[in-house]
Amino acid sequence: MGNTAANAPIRLLISQSLATIARERTVALLALLFLVLVVVAAYLGWSATSTVNAIYLRSVDYMTAQGQTIPSNPVLDTSPLALLRNMATYVSLIGALAAIVVGHQLIASDRKAGTMPLLATRPMRGIDLGIAKAVALVIAIAALVTFAAVINTATFLALPEFRLDGAGWSKLAVFYGMSGLYLLVFGFLGMWFGAAAKSETVGLLIPVTVWLTLTFVLPQITSNINPVAALNPVSALADAPASAFFQVTGWALGPFSLAEAYRVISAQLLDFMPPTYVDRVAIPAAASLLIAAAGVGAIATRAVARMDMTKGDYDA
Amino acid sequence: MRNLIQPVLTIAGKDIRDALKDRFIILMTAFLLLASLVALAVAAIALKVDVATYAEAKAGLIALGKDASTIPDPAFYPLKLLRGFVEHVEIIGAIIGILIGYRAAASERGRQTLALIVTRPISQWQFLAGKVLAGTAIISSGLILAFVIAGIAVIAISGIVLNPEDIGRLAIVMSAAGLYALAFFLLGFVTALWAKKLPNALLLAFTVWLSFVLIAPQIGDTLDPDNQVAGGVFKQLQIAKPQQVEILQSFSTYETIRNGIEVASPTKHFERLSFAVLGIKDTYAGQPLMPILAEKASDLVWLLAIALALGLLLFARRLDPNRLSKE
Repeated sequence: MGNTAANAPIRLLISQSLATIARERTVALLALLFLVLVVVAAYLGWSATSTVNAIYLRSVDYMTAQGQTIPSNPVLDTSPLALLRNMATYVSLIGALAAIVVGHQLIASDRKAGTMPLLATRPMRGIDLGIAKAVALVIAIAALVTFAAVINTATFLALPEFRLDGAGWSKLAVFYGMSGLYLLVFGFLGMWFGAAAKSETVGLLIPVTVWLTLTFVLPQITSNINPVAALNPVSALADAPASAFFQVTGWALGPFSLAEAYRVISAQLLDFMPPTYVDRVAIPAAASLLIAAAGVGAIATRAVARMDMTKGDYDA
Repeated sequence: MRNLIQPVLTIAGKDIRDALKDRFIILMTAFLLLASLVALAVAAIALKVDVATYAEAKAGLIALGKDASTIPDPAFYPLKLLRGFVEHVEIIGAIIGILIGYRAAASERGRQTLALIVTRPISQWQFLAGKVLAGTAIISSGLILAFVIAGIAVIAISGIVLNPEDIGRLAIVMSAAGLYALAFFLLGFVTALWAKKLPNALLLAFTVWLSFVLIAPQIGDTLDPDNQVAGGVFKQLQIAKPQQVEILQSFSTYETIRNGIEVASPTKHFERLSFAVLGIKDTYAGQPLMPILAEKASDLVWLLAIALALGLLLFARRLDPNRLSKE
């Protein structure tokens, strides 16, 4: 990227790609839904924490009347960062789906517009197109995550009872970095199949199926055995039954169970890790995400670079 | 009468043949079966762990001199093993419904045959009824296959032959699953029939699926105060059940709102009905079927009402001449 003139087509492709997906109504709809849920996540965390506190105060009255020992308030044991625990669920649900759509649209919009044969006549290599699309995806995902981070920062500033110290702000920043990395995996997946699939529908459905597998099927054999537990950030990290089977599958398949890896990282960074959680995975969760994002990113970039530039639209 | 029904059957037959050639629908159905088998295998292993833990605890108590006859045997309900399977039907079954519905409209629009069909001497209701009939048949076949495999797997895992009442319970849950998937079929069909761009229809249907299948139950679940503390808030505070009920009476408005969000989701109605009928929820395990059905009839009515409302919406609106082709 040292030569400015050589990089000009890449920069043009990036800006054009970003302008195109910004006009896509489905992308806007999903991004809006994600941002609404970011606000909802903060509200839910605040509401649930306040309710638990109120229940505790009511229970104290009852226990005092009964002459029972008063246990500590569970709310006081909770970090202010845990207010955002639902963010982990929303990033892995709506965020991942939005990332797939963004990655897919970055390629599909060009294919449907029939611009591929036109791009082939320009003085640029296939890899330039791949790099440009990958960079556009990184910028789009970074924008989505930055919006979410701004909303959550404003939430903390608006709620003085949930004050963060320097370490808390740092953990929050790392959480958004890791969320961006997780979303990139799915964005690259959408880009890969947007480029490789012959049909637009199949190009969209394959990444969705992979997302379903990673979110609901694989965690069954690596952590919580109930698929719907994935919806609750605390229940999702319940320990698997104490069996040699889960020991082996947790260790061997854990590195591929990206949704679980993201939940573990979120729980560590947002301080809501259940005390019963046992980490059996062969490699650290952050390494899993990093390897997956780099690997899928490389495959997606190559898939775009090797697209048939003589064809315009999808077959069906 | 025959003249009225024959075109419906012709369209349904053609649509079923087309759907069977669609690799993605076959692949997603196979995916549901695979996910279900994983859920059942995992449940079997978890059960084995529970049995071993019980046997170990019992042996420990006997070693301490306790009379073995005073230690109660654990209750075992084989249908409880179906929890993961039911949860996969909730998530993947709904997606299959959307895909079948989407394909039913997209195949006609993509091949420009919808414009041709409206020039033929058949009514719009006959065309739509044929598509809905085909969708119902395809969904029912897939669910029958999935439930038969799940039933066989339960027998193989537990070593207990299901009695007629258990089979009846499975049939009730399968019918509810059919209604549930039919609602999502209608969603996929309606969006693909009416949307300007076909892939946008699929994304719109997925957004609705995400909102009602995952997000609404997630919000309801998250707002449950007992889910906010690992192990449960009352368990941590060591408050007995009757006192829990008494304390929670002060939070009835909060609970009404929380429940209202949950019941906005057809998934929650299907789950509540299925978990009660199959005894997956502890309070219903071992209970007779009829009182459960009486208590949970409203969930079945909700599923029926949602499917019916979407069906009415489909039949009430005229086909848009600008939406007959792919774009």
